[in-house]
Parts: sequence; C-alpha cells; structure tokens
Amino acid sequence: MNQKRKIKRRTLELYTSEIAITVLSALLIVVSTVAIIKGAVRINFFDMSTIERDILLYVRVPRVLLAGLVGAALGFSGVLFQYVMKNPLADSFTTGVSASSAMGAVVAIVLGLGMLVPLFALTGGIIGLITVYKIASVRGKVQPITMLLAGIVISTFSSAIISFMKFLSNDAVSSIIFWLMGGFQSASISKAAVLGIILLLSYLLIRRDSLSLDIICFDDTTAISSGVAVARLRRKAFFIAALLTAFSVGYAGIIGFVGLIIPHIIRLLRFFKASELIPLSLLGGAFFMILNDLIARTILAEGQELPVGIITSAVGGMFFLYLLIKRRKELYYVD
Amino acid sequence: MIELKGISAKQGGFRLSVEGLLMRKGDFVAVLGNNGSGKSTFLSVLAGLKKFKGKYLLEGQSFQSISPLYRHRIISFLPQQTSLNMPFDVHYVVLTGRYPYTNGRNYKDEDIRATERILKEFDIFHLRHRQFNELSGGEKQRALLARVINRNSPIILLDEPLSGIDLKHQHEILNFLKRLCKDRIILIVIHDISLAIREFDRFLFFVKGTLAHDLQKRELDEEKLTRVFGVKVNFIRHKKGVFVYIEGDKYGFRNKKT
Repeated sequence: MNQKRKIKRRTLELYTSEIAITVLSALLIVVSTVAIIKGAVRINFFDMSTIERDILLYVRVPRVLLAGLVGAALGFSGVLFQYVMKNPLADSFTTGVSASSAMGAVVAIVLGLGMLVPLFALTGGIIGLITVYKIASVRGKVQPITMLLAGIVISTFSSAIISFMKFLSNDAVSSIIFWLMGGFQSASISKAAVLGIILLLSYLLIRRDSLSLDIICFDDTTAISSGVAVARLRRKAFFIAALLTAFSVGYAGIIGFVGLIIPHIIRLLRFFKASELIPLSLLGGAFFMILNDLIARTILAEGQELPVGIITSAVGGMFFLYLLIKRRKELYYVD
Repeated sequence: MIELKGISAKQGGFRLSVEGLLMRKGDFVAVLGNNGSGKSTFLSVLAGLKKFKGKYLLEGQSFQSISPLYRHRIISFLPQQTSLNMPFDVHYVVLTGRYPYTNGRNYKDEDIRATERILKEFDIFHLRHRQFNELSGGEKQRALLARVINRNSPIILLDEPLSGIDLKHQHEILNFLKRLCKDRIILIVIHDISLAIREFDRFLFFVKGTLAHDLQKRELDEEKLTRVFGVKVNFIRHKKGVFVYIEGDKYGFRNKKT
C-alpha cells in the first residue's frame, strides 16, 4: 500500500511540469478565445458583416496576440534578469531597461515622431542597458549588486528626463501619460509578428542553456568549476532579456509587475529548474497579460478603456503582497 | 599525472610559488599549512580558476591547451564555501555535478543512476527530496562532496571537505576516498594533523605562499612540523599509530618568558 502510494507520488513528480504546461496552455487557449469574442463591439460570429470582420481581424486578434506575446516576453525577461543578477527582485524595471526605453519613447512623442516610438524605445533601452552593463561589469564579469544599483540610477535619471519633458510640452502630456501606463491600443499583426519572431529566437537560444542557468544559482567558483562559462552565459542572458524588454516597452509601454510576479508564482508552485521555469513563465505571462487586457477593455461601460498597467499593478501588487506575507520563507534564498 | 614547474600566481598580499611537483595516479595527498599560506590558492590554480605563470602539464599536455569543458571533466573541485540561491532538492544538487558530461539540455538516465549510487554512498539518500538549503551544515557538506565525487573525474581537489562533518561520517568518507584514489589523484586541504598523519601517505606543506615541503609519511618529523605551523608539535608514538600533541605556547616564546 505504502509502496504503491510512493510509486504514484514518484510518477506524479516526474510529470508535474508536463501537467502544469498542459493546464496553462489550456487556460491560455480559453482566455484567448474569450478575449477575441468579448469587446466593446459585439460580433455576430455566425453572420459577420464587413465591419465586424475588419474589427475581428485588424483590431481584436492582433490585440490579443500582442498582449499574449508581450506578457510572455516580460515573464521571460524577468526570469533571465533574476538569473543574471541572482536577485529575486530583478526585472526589466530594476535594471533600468524599462525606464530608459520609456525615455526613448517619450522623446519620440515630444519631437512629434509618433511613428518612431518603438525605434526610439529600443534605442533608449539599449543605451540604458549598455550604460548599466559598462558600470556593472569588471573584466568581463557582471557584478550583480553593482548592476542593481546602476539600474536604480538609470531608472531615476530616465524618470527625471520624462518628467521634465512632460513639464515642457503641455499638449503631448495626455499621450505621454497613457503610453507610460501601458496598453495594447496600437496593436497590429506586424508588431505581433516581429515580437513573436524575437521571442521564438530568444527561447531557442536560451533553451540550450537550461542546465547551466541552474548551475549559475551556485556561487561563481562552484559554477565555473562545474564547467559553466559563467561570464559568457550572464552576458547572453542579459542581452536577450534587454532585447525582449525594449520591444515590449516599444510596442505596449511600461507594464509593471509581470516580469517580477510571474516567475515568483511559478517558483511558488515549486518549479525551480530553468527547463520548467522558463516555458512556464512564458505561458504564465501570456495568460496573465491577456486576462488583464480583457479586464481593462471590458470593465468600463460604453467601450471605455482602462490602461492595462493599472490592472496588472493592482492585481499583481495585491497578489504579491499576499505571497510576501503568507509564504515569505519559500520565496527565495538570498545570502 | 600532474606536473608542475615554476608555478607562480598572485593572490591578495602574497604570491603563490611552487618550484616543482609531480603527482601520479594513486597519490592521496594532504595539503597542510596555516591560514593564508596558499593552500586554497594552490588548489584554485590546479582547478584552472586562477591565472598563473609557469608550466602545468596534465598527462603530458599543457593545461592551457585543454578546453575549459574538458578540463572540468578531468578535474573536480570542492571550494571551501558554496552557496546556492535557488531551493533545489539534494538529489538535483548532486546531479548537477554531472554537468560536464551533458549536452547542456538534459541529464541522461546514466547520470541519474550514478547520482543515486553516490547518494547512498554518502548516506544522504534519505535526504534526497529535502531542500539543500534546509540541511544542517554537515549534511550540506556531505551533499556537496557527493556532488563533486559524482563527476567521477581522475583528479579530485577538495578544500577542507570534512569541516562540519561528524566523526562517523568523516571516517566513512575518508575510507571511501582512499578506495577511490587507487586510480586517481586526490588532494585534500586539512587542518587536523593527527587525522592527516593517520590517513594520508603524502603531505604538501605551504608556508607564506611557498610549497615548503613535499614529504612521504615516513619523512615527517616533529621539527619540520613545528617550523611549518609555528607551534611546538610533539609526536606520541603508539602501536596504533602516531598521535600529535601540540604545546600551548607559541614555539620560541617559551624561553623569553621564563
């Protein structure tokens, strides 16, 4: 009897990550379907008019796709930042990449170059990244603590520049504010396609390093003497994370909390290995973001929308607080 | 076979220097010396974690010409301190010792079987589902040692592997390592001279960064040890072996006081 139960437990343990991936994928499909069906305009799927079809194909589907991809990219980048910096509180925000991307975007808005927002965001993000990287790396090695501090400096500086530009140009203010809160109003199939390709390539590149990402959770001496090229792996993960962040911010603005909270939730479900943590964070991020966007655009009457960042921060913040209070001990080991 | 000639490396305030040294399969070597005498630096150089000048040959091949991944298949190294900031279980921690043999994406059944064998050997099989970070100090140390041995490499470097481990397990582990050493080279940094004299057959003594003595067991004497450690070392010979008695006062100060 006991033996049988033991074997059953073993088998369950072996397949838990597969079960979790299946469950999350099913949830993702359900929420995507609902998100496509629901919206400000009611669509009669059995007898579509041209307008209804256009709304479906050019507005709703791209929006749901982009929301899912941005969510996945933020979840993914959060995991990577946390590996690189060995810090549970690291994500696109604490490295300063989000803020410097936002600064780039705001510059584009103020200059009246609305078309070039994603490009400017990317440029800003990469400038921020390189600055942080230069400050934090000593002889090719990224120092986690210094990087976090440098990230805070970059964030503060970028916020100051953004505030200054708000002050300078009154007419662009509302646009800046809305953009900084994040949202998917400007979604298009081409944006979704670009992000999708970047996400896929990033995933394929990192998947080969699943085992070594686990090993860099040890101290550097142990990791290096285990045969992992630690400095090179850190650089790689860092750049991929920054790329994902810059594109997410460029297409959807700053959406807080996803990169921080999704990997935490996955770890609280007891998935700690990179080979489980990364795919689950991708799926979890996509699910979370589509759900939040659905709430953001259907909660108010008459087709009004809330910025999705408000919902993610509210939902995510409350959940995070609950975790911190209830299960503080299990969150992470920091020494 | 390890061959060293004119090795020097900078570390903090001192310079490690090893004029010449040859180690062969079957050598079970104790590395001794006071704190800051260069023992750990010496192991770091051997493990390829520290830049050095001089000639270092592994099986006749220059160390620098061996690719990093392959080096770590040949050499496994246990640092003095290890930290882990992810709540992995003991089984997985020990399994990661097999990393140099993987394709980077997953461990094979063979790796898992080897891990279970080694877990039993180190008497931590019953802890395998526990979180590594929740173990006691000695249990952690046994898990880390198991992790290093799990690599099954021909050269094993252990920096104070027995610290925090209870007497029973110390004894078992040393016996296991001795058996393992038949076709390997094992170097162990150790502070307990009595234990070292009882269990090892070759001794490297470091003084102020320099490899001062390379002695076989029969060549050990009180005078050399006294000079190396800076305390008066006395041997008490007994039919079961040599015991070491350390006199309280620092050697050389006694005469001044009286």
